[in-house]
Amino acid sequence: MAGFRALFRGLGRAAVPCRTLTLSHARCQHEFTSLEEKPQFPGASAEFVDKLDFIQPNVIAGIPIYRVMDRQGQIMNPEEDPQLPREKVLKFYRTMTLLNTMDRILYESQRQGRISFYMTNYGEEGTHVGSAAALDDTDLVFGQYREAGVLMYRGYPLDLFMSQCYGNSTDPGKGRQMPVHYGCKDLHFVTISSPLATQIPQAVGAAYAIKREKTDRVVICYFGEGAASEGDAHAGFNFAATLECPILFFCRNNGYAISTPTSEQYRGDGIAARGPGYGLMSIRVDGNDVFAVYNAIKEARRRAVAENQPFLIEAMTYRIGHHSTSDDSSAYRSVDEVNYWDKQDHPISRLRHYMLSKSWWDEEQEKSWRKKSRKMVMEAFEQAERKLKPHPDNMFLDVYSEMPASIKKQQESLWRHLKIYGEHYPLEHYEK
Amino acid sequence: MASAGLRILLCRRAAVSSGCERLLPLRRMGPCRQPQRRAVAHFTFQPDPEPTQYGPTQKMNLFQAITSALDNTLSRDPTAVIYGEDVAFGGVFRCTVGLRDKYGKERVFNTPLCEQGIVGFGIGVAVAGATSIAEIQFADYIFPAFDQIVNEAAKYRYRSGNLFNCGSLTIRAPWGCVGHGALYHSQSPEAFFAHCPGIKVVIPRSPVQAKGLLLSCIEDKDPCIFFEPKILYRAAVEQVPVEPYYIPLSQAEVLQEGSDVTLIAWGTQIHVIKEVATMAQEKLGVSCEVIDLRTILPWDLETVCKSVVKTGRLLISHEAPVTGGFASEISSSVQEECFLNLEAPIARVCGYDTPFPHIFEPFYIPDKWKCFDALRKMINY
Repeated sequence: MAGFRALFRGLGRAAVPCRTLTLSHARCQHEFTSLEEKPQFPGASAEFVDKLDFIQPNVIAGIPIYRVMDRQGQIMNPEEDPQLPREKVLKFYRTMTLLNTMDRILYESQRQGRISFYMTNYGEEGTHVGSAAALDDTDLVFGQYREAGVLMYRGYPLDLFMSQCYGNSTDPGKGRQMPVHYGCKDLHFVTISSPLATQIPQAVGAAYAIKREKTDRVVICYFGEGAASEGDAHAGFNFAATLECPILFFCRNNGYAISTPTSEQYRGDGIAARGPGYGLMSIRVDGNDVFAVYNAIKEARRRAVAENQPFLIEAMTYRIGHHSTSDDSSAYRSVDEVNYWDKQDHPISRLRHYMLSKSWWDEEQEKSWRKKSRKMVMEAFEQAERKLKPHPDNMFLDVYSEMPASIKKQQESLWRHLKIYGEHYPLEHYEK
Repeated sequence: MASAGLRILLCRRAAVSSGCERLLPLRRMGPCRQPQRRAVAHFTFQPDPEPTQYGPTQKMNLFQAITSALDNTLSRDPTAVIYGEDVAFGGVFRCTVGLRDKYGKERVFNTPLCEQGIVGFGIGVAVAGATSIAEIQFADYIFPAFDQIVNEAAKYRYRSGNLFNCGSLTIRAPWGCVGHGALYHSQSPEAFFAHCPGIKVVIPRSPVQAKGLLLSCIEDKDPCIFFEPKILYRAAVEQVPVEPYYIPLSQAEVLQEGSDVTLIAWGTQIHVIKEVATMAQEKLGVSCEVIDLRTILPWDLETVCKSVVKTGRLLISHEAPVTGGFASEISSSVQEECFLNLEAPIARVCGYDTPFPHIFEPFYIPDKWKCFDALRKMINY
C-alpha cells in the first residue's frame, strides 16, 4: 500500500516540472550513457531495486474525498470556502430544485405513458450545477445522459427539455432520438448519444482542436463509473495525456451501472486512482457538496487552460432514482440504502442548510419557489404535449449534409405509399 | 491491436517486394536448391492519359499522390491536422513523409496505438470545426473503431438535428490484398460500411484518382472513409497534377465503352477487369464496357444502370468475400431497375467466403482467369 501511494505522489511531482518546461513529450528522457549502472529502458524513468516487491493497490484507504461543507451545510475549513455571492448560490439552489421538479413531473408522465422513456437526476444535481458554475459559458460540454443540470444551469429553456422528450415540432433534434438525449449548439452542449463512453475520446479531440485555436476554452466530459470500464475511456484518458489536451474528465461515481454495483465494475480504488496511471492530475470530491465540486472544477479549469493538461475529477455520489423508467432498482438494492442518501445526505438539502444558516433562504421562500417552479414546469409540459410531431420528411433529412439520390427515392416512395395507405398511419399527429 | 511491430515489418517487406535480389544469396544457402519464384502480380497497372486541365503534373506513385493531396490540404487549411499510428516519421507506407517537418508537430502527430481512440479523437476534432484526417494503419484494424464510425460518426448530424456534425472527418486506410498479407493485411471491409447510412466510402484505382478523390473526401461535408489499395502504393505510377483538383464523389466512371457486357469493379480490381475486357475482345470478340464505381456509398446507380440497359449483361468483381459483399447490393439493385434489359443472370466474381489466406492467395483472389471464365459463360448463356 505504502509503495503505491509513494508512486502516486512521485508521479505527480515528476509530471509538473516536465510540463511547465513545455517539453512536449518524451517526458524525462535520459542521456544515453550505457556504461552507467542506471536503468536505460526508454519505456520508464525509474531506479533499479534489488528486492522483489509487487506494488499493492491501496483500496482500503483510497484517495480521500474532498469536502467543503458537512451534511448540515457548515463550512469545514474557512480557507476552502469559495465565498460565492448570495445570487450565485441561489442560482445553484434554484437550478437543482427546478431540475428535481422537472424530473418528478417527467418521470410521472412516463409512468402514465405520455412520454416513452425518462432518466432522472436524483442525488446528482450537485455534480451538475457545481461543475457547470465553475466553467465559462463557452466551454464545450460532452455528456453521458445524466447531466441535464448542466444545461439547466446554462439557461436551457424548460420548453426545449420537454420538446426533446416529446419529440415534437419544436425539438431542435427533430424528434429523432429517445428522450433525455439533449443537445444545444448555442449553449455548447454536444448532443447526447446512447452508446456509453463514445464521447470520451471525442471530447479529447475537441479539446485538441480548441487548444490549437488558442481561445482559452476547455472541454469538460462527463461519464458514469460504469462507462469508465469501456475501452473508449482508456483511449480518451491516454490520448488526452499524450496529446496534452485542456480537458476535464468528470466521473459521476454513483455506485451503480443499472444493477451492477461497483464491486463488479472494478477492483481498484475507484476511477480517480486510474488517473495517475495515465499521467492525469486527479482528485476525488464529495459529489453531494456543490462547493467541493465547484472548487475542484474551478481550479482544474484554470490549470487545464494554463498548462494544456488534462484533469480527472471523480465525484462520489449515490444514484437515488432508478436507472431509468425501464428499471425497478428495488430488484437489486435495499430501500434503506436509498432512503439514507435521499434523507440524510442529499446535495439539495445540504445546500438548503447552508442557505438557511446564512439567512439567505427561509420556509416561506421555499414554499413559494416550489409552487412557482412546479407551475413553470407544468406549463411547459402541457404546451409540449399539445404540439404536433415534426413533419415525417425529417426522417430523411440530415443523414448527409445533402440528400443522396437513393434516399430521395426512398422518401418519394414513402409518400406514394402514404397516399394510398395513409389511414393506417398516425399522420394526424405530425406536421403537414 | 497488438502487432504494430508485425505491421511495420510487413510493409517494409512490401516496400522491397519487387527487389528481392538482395535476399537471393541467403536463399541459396537454404535447403531448397531452386529459389522459389515469386508469383507475378495478378494485375498490370494501366495509367490513364496525363490530365492536362489542372496545370503542371509530376510523375507520382500512389503514395506520393496521397502525400501531395495531404500537402495541398495542410497548406491551404490552417485547421487541418493529420494523426494516427506512426504518421510522424512519414508513415509505414510513406504517405506522410515530410509533412511534419513542413507543417509542424502540432499538425502531423502520432497517437497512442488505439484505433477506437483515433476515430473518436478525430470525430471530436471535426465536431470542434477543424479538418480532421485520421489514418488507420491497415483497413484490417479499423474494426476496433467500428462503433465510433457506425454509431457515432455516421449518425452525428442526423441525431442532433444538424446542431452538430463531424463532416470534416476523413479516415484513410491502406486496403486490399498485397500478395502476402494473409488475414490481417489484406482485407477489403467496404461492405461492412456500405450498410451504414451517414458515411461515405471511397476507393481510388490510381494516383490521379487517389489525389482527386481524397481531396474531395477531405472537403466533403460528411465523414468519409478513403481506402487506399496498398498494392498500388508503389506499383502505380502516372503523371499527377501538382495543384489541388477534385474528382466528384458518388460518380462512377466509364473507363471503356462497350456494347456486349458491363464490367464493374473498384480499386486494384479495375486493372484486372480492364485486362479481362481486352482478353474478351481478343479471344471472344466481345465488347466490354468497363466501369470504376469509385464511391461505394452513396453509389452511382444511374451510371451503372444506364450501361446495363445498353449491354444487357453485368459482371461485378471484388476482392472481398462474396456473401454480403457490395456486389450483392449492386446486383439486386440492377436487377430491380433493369429487369427487362437483362439477358443473363448477373455474375459476381469475388473472393471466397473464407478468411484471406497467406500461401493460398493466388488461388483466393478473383483474378483475370476467373473473371474471364465467368464472363465467357455469361456471354454463352
